Amino acid sequence: MKLRIAVTGRSYHQADVLPGELTLAEGATLVDAIRQIAGLLPDQQTLPPACLVSLAGRHLGTLGSYENAKLHDGDELVLIAPVAGG
Amino acid sequence: MEDRVSREHSAIDVPDLTNEELQRYDRQIGPGVLSVEGQRRLKGATALVTRVGGMGGPAAQSLVMAGVGRVIIAHGGEMISADLNRQVLGSEEVLGKPRAEHFAAYLRTMNRFVTVEAIDHEPDDREAAELANRCDVILACPPNFTERLRLNRAAVESGTPFIDAAQWGMTGSLIVVRPGETACLQCVYPEEPPFEEFFPVLGAISMATGALAALEAIKILSGAGTPQYGKMLMVDGFHGRTTSLELRRDPNCPCCGGMVSTK
Repeated sequence: MKLRIAVTGRSYHQADVLPGELTLAEGATLVDAIRQIAGLLPDQQTLPPACLVSLAGRHLGTLGSYENAKLHDGDELVLIAPVAGG
Repeated sequence: MEDRVSREHSAIDVPDLTNEELQRYDRQIGPGVLSVEGQRRLKGATALVTRVGGMGGPAAQSLVMAGVGRVIIAHGGEMISADLNRQVLGSEEVLGKPRAEHFAAYLRTMNRFVTVEAIDHEPDDREAAELANRCDVILACPPNFTERLRLNRAAVESGTPFIDAAQWGMTGSLIVVRPGETACLQCVYPEEPPFEEFFPVLGAISMATGALAALEAIKILSGAGTPQYGKMLMVDGFHGRTTSLELRRDPNCPCCGGMVSTK
């Protein structure tokens, strides 16, 4: 199963090291995908807990607290790190 | 909290427009833009913009030029050189001088038909609440979540539509809140994200984000178009990507949970 991924917001530069899509086993969940993304980030780099989680256009919470969901082939996962600059 | 309700734009006074005003706004009155009634609503409206730096400056400028009758700006401190890559209300001549007073003076030169009030500091909880009760829309453009969440609380308590605009690097984000009906900022960020004092930012994204925030305010105040209530718009200018997300309201939100809208 293929999952398109994007990181945007405060940490957009971290997206440059990530692939545009992940390959996951059938039946994989959002937790599996987020765990895989974390493993692809360079050492010492993490996404902030306040990062918003959007799966297939649905807002599911933040990385610190989100609703798990079943993934479907072709879904897009967008992680939106909060920006606060004024 | 049940007795708090979201304010309707129909509550705004609709004063008549003079011939001079009709002439000034001629290019923005017509199909697909504002109606005469909408322009009158703008004239009768009050908007709060805090702060008026990279995003709030262009936002306030757009509101003043569009004819929002009263624009209140709040921003403390003096202008420094590093502000001038994005703070369009300033200039070389304002370096070292108080931002609010000089920015307001500049805004007044742009439209004699509107009133600009300047507050030379960032409002605390009490003042934010007082200002929210005087305003028909609040645009939050500060550089930290403490102020954003404070303004969000004031907006929710008063039922005032709220627009949060933020930026980082070449990215800008907008969140538009209709209290009692859509997610508020605290629903989205239940834990306050950390403060970052020296964030990178390019003026072009500040101005774009500020202008989009003003556009949302103008739609809300005038009744024209479709405000992006309940949504986040993230513009990642670095990668040329935009994301629009319908935000989930938290029924247990300590700020807006239990609040109802009149709609």
